[in-house]
Amino acid sequence: MAANKASRLGEEIWKTRIDKVNAELVVLTYGTIVSQLCKDFDSDYVEVNKQLDKMGYNIGLRLIEDYLAKSNTVRRCSNFKETAEMIAKVGFKIFLNITPTIANWTNDGKQFSLILDENPFADFVELPDDGRAQDELWYSNILCGVLRGALEMVQMQVEAHFISDVLRGNDTTEMRITLIRYIDDELPPEDD
Amino acid sequence: MSMTLPSIACLGVIGRNNNPLHISIFNSYDPSTNSFRPVRTPLQFSLLLSSTLDVFELRSRAHAAQGTGLTGDFGLLHAVDERLAAYGFETNTGVKFVVVVDMRGRKASTTAGVGEDGKRSGTVGTTGVGLREGEMRVVFKAMQAAYIRLMQNPFYDPDEHSPVAGPGKKITSRKFGEEMRKIGEGWMPGVTSL
Repeated sequence: MAANKASRLGEEIWKTRIDKVNAELVVLTYGTIVSQLCKDFDSDYVEVNKQLDKMGYNIGLRLIEDYLAKSNTVRRCSNFKETAEMIAKVGFKIFLNITPTIANWTNDGKQFSLILDENPFADFVELPDDGRAQDELWYSNILCGVLRGALEMVQMQVEAHFISDVLRGNDTTEMRITLIRYIDDELPPEDD
Repeated sequence: MSMTLPSIACLGVIGRNNNPLHISIFNSYDPSTNSFRPVRTPLQFSLLLSSTLDVFELRSRAHAAQGTGLTGDFGLLHAVDERLAAYGFETNTGVKFVVVVDMRGRKASTTAGVGEDGKRSGTVGTTGVGLREGEMRVVFKAMQAAYIRLMQNPFYDPDEHSPVAGPGKKITSRKFGEEMRKIGEGWMPGVTSL
């Protein structure tokens, strides 16, 4: 079963090939970025979400190379479902040591949810109590950007956004990922 | 005569500029009416906490002169009357935790042997005696842990809460308030973790 293989692969890479870093360092660094963005944009949370997504995108563009090297991937995923498995069980595992649950596939197999049972970024976090952050800020929005950037580098144009977050008081933290299209390698960009 | 046990009447967190950051007040048992209510008004508790600040300062000056004990448990700061006593703890950054204990705040018959949460608490039953040395350590540890978690929240700005000049903001975190409540209600002599 492919799912099992993926989780074994993720586990093995995490154990043997990953340099670990102190979790608090990551949590505090990411927290500082978000809270500084909130200050810089005067609590315009829509803009903060956009900036986080942009940062994530730029991370994703680079991170995919690391992912491919560490996971020793030699072939493409045969379909989007396999991609989802690899994202959840290998990608998230080796970079964040979490394995989100894949759920809520649409019938056409182009849209799924990642449910983050635990979110290391959100440890200790309480959103600002200004009555808007709870409705507007997606605290972990950088992850959407990372996925978008990383998948774009392997010829998949996706759209990713959060639809619920425990920080907002929802029961789960859920990210929705939609495959828009496979980018054709052959065509130069202006022919799009 | 109904037996009573010590309980926490008030928890206070005071910033490094002696500014109040957080005050939680807890109900005490009142045997005359067999009801639970705070033993003092919020204003009185606030004044009581303020009055501990001088003790903090005196002690830390004494500590500095001896070159010892920059941080940690300050022990009994001041026994207000035969019921209330204030205990203190100061961290290296000057944040102070104060616990006001009501020596007769808990009804013994409901708690002796079995706590409200159903946990057995072995040493309860020694009614009427004062608190042992170090009895408060578990409370301070729990308060400090809660304070650390609060500081880890990126949206909590320590500078806004303890500015050099003027009064700062108070702690508004719901999570922190909730943790203070758990500590204040959960503690009784002899508990080893909160």
